Parts: sequence; C-alpha cells; structure tokens
Amino acid sequence: MLTYIIRRILIIVPMAVAVSFLIYLGLDLTPGDAVSHMLDPTRTVDPEKLAELRHALGLDSPLIVRYWIWLTGVLQGHFGYTLTGGVPISSLLVDRLPATLELSGTALILSTILGSILGTISALRRGSATDNVLTVVGMIGVSIPEFFFGLVAIVVFALNLNWLPVGGRLLPSYDSYWDHIPNLIMPALVLSIMMTAGVMRYARSSMLDALSREFIKTARSKGLPEWRVNLLHGFRVALTPVIVLVGFRLPILIGGSVIVEQVFQWPGLGNLFVSAVRNKDLPVVMTIALLSVVLVLTVSLIIDVLTAVIDPRVRLGA
Amino acid sequence: MRMLKATAVALLLQTALMGTVYAQALNGNPMSDVRVRQAIAYAIDKDTIIATVLGGYAVRADGLLPNGPFKSPNLDPYPFNPDKARELLKQAGWDSSRTLEMVFYYDDQVTANLMTVLQAELADVGITMNYHLLVGDVAKTLNSIPDDPKGKSVVTWDLGYGARAAIAMQEYFNDYATGKASADGFPGSPELDGLIADSNSSTDPEVTKKALMSIDEYINKNALTIPLYYQQLYAVESNRLNRNGEPHGNDQFNYDWNIQNWTVEPDADGKKVMYTNAAPVDYFEEPWVNLGLWAGNKMIWAHMLSAKPFMDGVAEGDLADTYKVSDDGKTVTFTMRDGTTWQDGEPITTDDVVWSLETALKVPTLHGVLANTFNSIEGAADFVAGTAPHISGISVDGKTITIKFAKVDPNVLLSFTQWGPLPKKYFEGVDPTLLQQAPFWQKPVGSGPFMVEEAKFGDFTSFVPFDGYWKGKAKIDQIIAWASGDGDANMVKNAAAHRIDFAITKAVNDLETLKTLDFMKLTPLDIPYTRMIWINQYDK
Amino acid sequence: MALIDIVSRRSRLDRQFDQLRRLEEAGALRAAGGSRFVRKFLNNRLAVIGLTVFTVILLMSIFAPLLTPWDPTKINLRAIAQPPSPEHWFGTDKTGRDVFARVLYGGRISILVGLGSALVSAAIGVIIGCYCGYVGGRLDTIAMRVSEAIMAFPEIILVLMLVSIVGQSLFNIMAIFILGGWCGIYRLVRAQMLSLREEEYVLALRSFGLNRGLISFKHMLPNALGPVMVNITLSTAAFILAEAGLSFLGLGVPLSMPTWGNILNVAQDLAVLQNNWWLWLPVGIFISLFVLSVNFIGDGLRDASDPTQQG
Repeated sequence: MLTYIIRRILIIVPMAVAVSFLIYLGLDLTPGDAVSHMLDPTRTVDPEKLAELRHALGLDSPLIVRYWIWLTGVLQGHFGYTLTGGVPISSLLVDRLPATLELSGTALILSTILGSILGTISALRRGSATDNVLTVVGMIGVSIPEFFFGLVAIVVFALNLNWLPVGGRLLPSYDSYWDHIPNLIMPALVLSIMMTAGVMRYARSSMLDALSREFIKTARSKGLPEWRVNLLHGFRVALTPVIVLVGFRLPILIGGSVIVEQVFQWPGLGNLFVSAVRNKDLPVVMTIALLSVVLVLTVSLIIDVLTAVIDPRVRLGA
Repeated sequence: MRMLKATAVALLLQTALMGTVYAQALNGNPMSDVRVRQAIAYAIDKDTIIATVLGGYAVRADGLLPNGPFKSPNLDPYPFNPDKARELLKQAGWDSSRTLEMVFYYDDQVTANLMTVLQAELADVGITMNYHLLVGDVAKTLNSIPDDPKGKSVVTWDLGYGARAAIAMQEYFNDYATGKASADGFPGSPELDGLIADSNSSTDPEVTKKALMSIDEYINKNALTIPLYYQQLYAVESNRLNRNGEPHGNDQFNYDWNIQNWTVEPDADGKKVMYTNAAPVDYFEEPWVNLGLWAGNKMIWAHMLSAKPFMDGVAEGDLADTYKVSDDGKTVTFTMRDGTTWQDGEPITTDDVVWSLETALKVPTLHGVLANTFNSIEGAADFVAGTAPHISGISVDGKTITIKFAKVDPNVLLSFTQWGPLPKKYFEGVDPTLLQQAPFWQKPVGSGPFMVEEAKFGDFTSFVPFDGYWKGKAKIDQIIAWASGDGDANMVKNAAAHRIDFAITKAVNDLETLKTLDFMKLTPLDIPYTRMIWINQYDK
Repeated sequence: MALIDIVSRRSRLDRQFDQLRRLEEAGALRAAGGSRFVRKFLNNRLAVIGLTVFTVILLMSIFAPLLTPWDPTKINLRAIAQPPSPEHWFGTDKTGRDVFARVLYGGRISILVGLGSALVSAAIGVIIGCYCGYVGGRLDTIAMRVSEAIMAFPEIILVLMLVSIVGQSLFNIMAIFILGGWCGIYRLVRAQMLSLREEEYVLALRSFGLNRGLISFKHMLPNALGPVMVNITLSTAAFILAEAGLSFLGLGVPLSMPTWGNILNVAQDLAVLQNNWWLWLPVGIFISLFVLSVNFIGDGLRDASDPTQQG
C-alpha cells in the first residue's frame, strides 16, 4: 500500500512542476506585461520611465530566472506580490479563498444532497411519471447558460420581488457571520441547480445498479418491508459511488464558480482569476492555476488510494 | 532638447513634403492619403448614430476640443455624404480588397453596436472593416510607434476607437508631436509640432487658446483623427442625498466637492449612510495617477489648492492657505494653512510637501499634466538624473514654499489643484519607482474629509468622517463604497436595489435603465471628453 | 382426451413455427429487427424528440437563407429595437438587425463550435486512443502524460488561461476546446481497447496474422463506439454552453461574428433584460433547446448502448 502511494506521489510531483512551467511559459509568450496595464490607455507615459519600472519589478530578467525565483519562493510559502498593486498574493488568497469556498462549498453540499435524494427517488420509481419529470427537469437545468440563468434570477428575485440582494458578499453593517446569508442564497442556489443534474443522474444509475444486486433480492425474500430494503441496503450501496463523485467534483471548489461569481459580484477566487488574466498579473494567474492543479492532483491521489483500499485489484494492476 | 531633436529629424525627413494637405499617399500605407481619411469621415453618419445607438446621450463633435470658448468656427463638419466618400476613394485609387482593422477597448454593448454600425457604413462606401476588442495589453497595442517616424508601423491596427479626457486642453494635442508614442497614429509634421509648442509656452490664455484652435483646425483639415462625439458625464444621485447647494462639476477630476456639507436621509437607526461605488478592488491607487477618477481618493485626499467645479480656475486655497504667481509666471509661492493634520493626527508640514514633490517626479506613472508642471521646475532635470540631491528651484521659509520654474507652464495652478502631498513618514525606505507597491496603500492615511474605516478589497470600503478636516467634520456618518473599476457594470443593479446614493457614469446603457428609476436623479455634466477614431498612418 | 390435447397443442406450435419460417424466408423478420441499437434508441421517446429538435434547428441554420429574407449583418438605424412583427419575427436589435436572421445564422457558428470541436476532438481521441490502447509503447506514455497534465486543470481555468495566451478568434476558441476535449475520449477508447485486447476473438484475429491496425480500427473500435458517441453529444452540449459563457466574460468569439453566445450577451444590460425581451428570450430558448436536445440524444445513446438496460 505504502509503495503504491509513494509511486503515485512520484508521478504527481514532477507533473505539478511541469504544468507550472508550462503555465509560466505560455503566459510569458503573450504580448505586454503588467506595467502597461497600470496605465490608463488614454494617456501616454515616457518609455524610459516604463523601462525603469519594468526593471524595478524584475520584469526584464530572462524567463528561466524569473521562473526559478518564483518556484523556489512558492516552495518556501512565498507566493510573491501582485504586479499591479504589490499586495502579497497570500493576503489576497486569504481574502478571496473563503468567499469561493463558502459559495462553491454550499453549492457542492446542496447539490449532492438534493441530487442524491432526487436520484434515489427516480431510481425507485423507475419509468414512472416522477422519474421522467425529474430526468427532464434535470436536463433542462444543465441546458441553460449559467450566466443567463443568474441574470434572470437577479431580475426576478432581487429587482422585481425584492426578496434578495442583487449581489456582493459582506454587508458593511453585519453584526454576525450569519447576516450575510441572504447574499449567499441566490448565487449558491443558481450554482447548485446547475450542479444537481449530474449528481442526480449518477445517483439514479448507482441506485438502479444496487437494486439489481443479489443481496437486495435476498433481503426482499427474507420478508423485510420494502422501504427498509431500499433505504438500508440499496441506498447504502449506492452512496459509495456518490462519495467518489463528490471527490471528483472537489476541483469545482476553485474552478466551478467563475461565471456565477461574475454575475453576483462575489469577491472570490474566480473573480480574481478573471481580472488577473485580463491584467496579465502573472503571479496571480500562476498561483491560482497552480493551486487548482495541485488540488485536482491531490484529490485524484486520494481517490486512487481509497479505491485501492476498497479494491485490491487496482493496486496490482497499476 | 529631445523635442528639438525630434523636430529636427522630422524636418530633415519631411522637407520634400512641405505644405498642408497632400492629395496622395505619403508612404506604403493608403491611410496616409488624406482623401482616404476624409472619405471615412464622410462615410460616418454621426447624427444618426448619436440619436439611435447612443440613445441621444452624446453631442456631435467636429473637433477634438469641447464645444464652448475653445471651439473653432473654421472646422469642416464633414457632413454625412456616402457619395462624396466613394468619390474620394475613387480618386485615391482605393483598393477594395483591403481590410481595415479597427480596435477598441470598451467591452460594453453600446460600443459593440457602434462598431457594427461603423462597419456597415464603411462597407456601404466600399471599405471592408473588421473590428475587435483589445484585451490584455491595451496601452502597448494602442500607443506603440516606430523609432523612426518614417519607419514601418509596429502595430497591426488601422483604425482605433477611443477617447481623450482632458483636464488641460493641451492634453488633447501634445501626443500628436513627432516621435511621441501615442494612439493618434500620426507620424508628425513640423507645422503641427510648432503649433503644439506654441500652445504650451505662454501664460497668456488668449495666445494659448489661439494655438489650440489652430491645432484643432489642422487636424480637422487633414482628417488626422476623426472626432465622433462628446460624451457627457452623468451624476447619478438618489433622492435620499442632498448636496445642500454644493455645485456639480467635472467629476473625472478633483474640484471643490465640499462633501463635508452633503447630507443623506438617516436610516432606521438614525445613521446617515451614503452608498456609492468605485472603491478599490485590490488596493488604493496612489492619487497622482488618475486624478480624481476614484471616489475613494477624493474623500481621502486634500490638495494644495481647490479647483472650481469645471476646472476653470482656482476656487480657494486648500492645504495651502494662500498662493501667489509672479507676473512672468515663473515663480509660485504657497503659504501653508495653519493647523492642518494627517488623519493620524500628525501635522502636515512643508517637509511633507517638498518630499512629495520630489517623489512625484520619480513616480513613473505620474499624470501627464502634473509631469509637465513638475518637470518645468528649475533643477528638476538634474534631480531626476540623480546629479542633484534636491530640486534647486524649491525653497522653504517657515510656512512658505517658493517654487521657481525654468520654463512657463500654463497649467501650473491647475496642477496644484489636482495634487496634494503624501505623509512622508509612512514611506521611509520606499523606492519612489515602486511607490504603489508600498503597504501604505492597503489602508492609506490621508488629509481629506473622510478616512478609511475598513477596506474589504473587491467587496466594499467603509469611510468615516475625519474629525480634524480643516473645513470641518463631515455631516454624513458613514460612506459605503462598493468595489468597482471605472465603468461599474453593477452600478445600475445596485442603484435599482437602493444601494447607490451617488455615482458617476458615462455608460449610455446605464442611463436608459436609470431613467426608469423614479428615485434616482440624473444630472448631465459637460466635460471635455471626446470619443474619436484614430488613424494609423505609419508606413506598413 | 389427453392425446387430443397434445395433438392440438402440437399443431398450434407447428402453425406458429410455420408462420415464423415463412416470415424468415420472406425476409420480414430481419427488417423488423434492424439494429438492436437503433431500435432501442427509437423506443426512447425523449431521444427521438431530441433528435427531431436537433435536426430541425440544424437544418434551420444550414438553410437560413431560405427561411429569412434578412441579412443578419444588415443594419437599419431607422428601425432599432422593434418588437416582433410579421416582418421581423423576433423583432430587431439595437442596430436594427433582424433578430430571427441573427439567431439562425448565429446557430451556424455556435453549432460549428460545439459539434465541430466535439467531432474533431473525438477523432483525435479515437485515433490516439485506439493506437495506444492496442499497440501501447512510447506514444502511449507521452499521450498519457500530456492528457494527465491537461486534465489536471479545472476546465474553465485552462480555457481562460489559453484564451488570454492565444487571443480571441473562432479558430482559437475551437482549438482550445479541442485541446481540452480530446483527453476524455482518448482515455475512454484506450481503456476499452485494453480490455478488448484480451478478448478471444481478437486473439483469433491475431493468430490469423491480420495486421494490428486492421484489428484495432476495424474489429475492435466498433465495439467501443457507443460510449464515444455519448461522449461526443455531451461535449457538443458543453462546448456550446462554454462558448456562451466565454462571451459573457468578454473572452469568446469576437463580437463581429453572430453566435448564440454573442447574441445572448445583450442580456447583461439590465434595460434590455427588463424592456426588450425579444432580444434575449428567443435566442436563450434556442440555445437551451438545442443543448437540451443534444443531451436527450446523448441519454438515448447511452441507454441504447448499455447492454444491462433493456430496450
């Protein structure tokens, strides 16, 4: 088991380094740099002064040198500073990461619960009207463009009905953490509705799979009431794949809410990433991209290990 | 010196091309043919565009300079005339297989519509045009020019759509000088260089005005740039807000806002909270880059002098109690006001002012008008070059600061209405080049009517009154500013949800919606802000 | 009594068998059967609806010039933001262009982006996957590492980063989608190939001395095609939605080209959202219907190709 884990780690670490270099290289090839972004395009500035500024920001050393300085910094826990404002990136992450985790975490939990329940109902009533309606509704949920859904929700619930705020996260006059829950409701619901259909489909087929197994038939033949058979035996077996599904969806925590964050002015990592990409704030783009890659790789490692624990054949095969 | 050299080079290169309008291409780029440029001007139906695409929220522009005293009567309006455009193109031998590339940097829907219309109108006279939004490095793509004015263009675009906002009228034209990197796309001419020099060298407003109008006429006649329309600025105010008679002004810049006299209706708890936008997304921008663009900076900072609402002179002293300009315009004396303090309670000293002036000269992003003024100070060049430890033209006597100028700058007082000192003690050991990178900008300590209480970057900033403000403590208890960039896409949503009491916008589509909100008031402000099409005439 | 019974039962069975034989000889049975796959798919009502809607929208886009006299790029500043009328079925936009024409012509590009990227990435994935799964070797190692690196990115992070690097154009957007899309199919086909490789019929073919290419592409690939087709439909749906999302972020296909995403983008303007429903509702419905139909087709394909589900 230990050798298996070590083997997996030995694959993942070089992968992360290679990916980080590719990101750095790619972004370096794009024209322009942070300095020209600090300036209003309607004005012009003396080129000599710009050269000075580039030098001071270390933008004029060769690629590999800059990459090396950055990488060694990251390994020591220094993510560097944003080019445009000189803010330590770690402090930006501290600001933005909780916002994103809060939003996508809520959506992840909501969609998992909702999806599992609806998927199970669908499976138990297979072929019924309920099953068909749920399937169609789920499909519709994933077929509407996310931003469009969000904008319509704003018009209806914030502007016409006036039930919920239009956006933003924290209110200046909040007394407790819970005061900003109204701000969370709409973006979290929009995001989780988009995510529910996938979980529902997966839960449904896992449940169907579980229900057709021999031990269910055995339980039924023992004369157990039908609800007990379904709930205790069927659901438990179907749950394992759902947990795996949640694991695979964990990277959504960082990448999944980019558009919803834009729609609802949610000050999270997604928002930060989009503006950093536009401003060519290389260190920020690097940090977030690398963070997400590391998250994906770590999650896949954990899932691999868990699967190997459950099913020893995987270990032998790998 | 640089200027002279550039002019000399241009003279040498262009002696064969004396005169004004050449009815032929000057280089391999057909855009250097005045007939092609004029054809484009005739092909565009400005009036209909303003009435439809811009919803009537703009004013037709024939010159770059705003309407009013600076408007020349001799401008050719290039009335919409597709037949004439086709005729001119035929004379110029326009190659209809050529596709012009148009670039722009506004990502709003109205600009996209405008591009669609321009494309269709140009197609109607036989010019194929494709447009695309610049993302990433906008400034570099727009402003790069070849080292040699006769050299090949270093950018691919042919037409650029953009704006000039000016605090001083010279700002419209200084970039047209030969060898000056900018988006105007004009390689330069000795005649225009001469006029530009004239517009910058006199203290007599009439002389300056005449030079400026001549430049506008020159650009108009040669169709170097095609002005489209003046964009009005709109003050957006809720019916909760009361300015108590304090006038509106050019909110792109710093004027005598007197926000300490404004009031808002108290909320249920009896607290007077004003909501606005344009709070910082990541950090507070140092106030010498974009003068007065960010509401937050206006609240935090006081200036040396205080401008009249539309920048037409000095209203009164601010941190400087009194000021005096010598008759030759080359000496300016400020006497600092007694008892002014920073928001941490420490007094604002002449030392702060002198240090700030010196630092400003070394900040790479210093606003162009300020840079012109400060670089005109005696000894500034030596100080910047590092050969002098201080600027020799600045002397201090008690509370009086005397600044001697090596050459006359017509905008010297204007500059000091937009500029104020920073507290020196927070910048120990900070390299002026990296001024913006100082931790100070996470929560600046200012000199103005409001101070930062809490900054949640990307979310909001909360401001509270500064007790020690020399004009008195503000009447509003708290200002909440939502974080946004210039052109806040969410302002209308927030306004509709009663979360905006004061904002500034130029966005036409915002105005359409705001008009439908009966609790919001729109006040149009005429500001020098011209939208135009630049034409890249460099050789290709 | 019993004997008569047996005789009569026999004779009934005999009659049935005779009937079957007649049908068989007449070739009627084969026709009724067809492909089990097609039969199962056609039995799925949603899938059939999906296929119909898909075909209708596709044909409408392809034959747009026959369905509308309007040019989608022709502006008319004298008729801007007109509500729907017999002349302009979906009204006109803020520059007076006919919205119906724009939606139809926009469909061409959106479907090209969605379906085109999905098909190309599937082709790449199948070819590499087939070869690597059956032959393996150095190429397999490289392809595996590259796909792992690509799949280590959350999708939208990868797409945004690449857009910022290569810039916005129709070609670039499709290239980016393809770059991110081939890995999934490659891995799927590779896994199928790995398991099919050990099947007896493959061993038999090999012992006949057939070359590896022929075995893998002609005899093994068809058995792996079901999941590939499902994957193509899901990618098509995802790419069309991604195109719309990129338009929203201002990083999609250049605005000068009508795409569903670019047309729908006007909904960002609150005034339009509240006052000019015809500018966003029809195109919103078109995108959603099309993506929905593709999803239904994918669902039908999945059920039809899954042997554990009865037709």
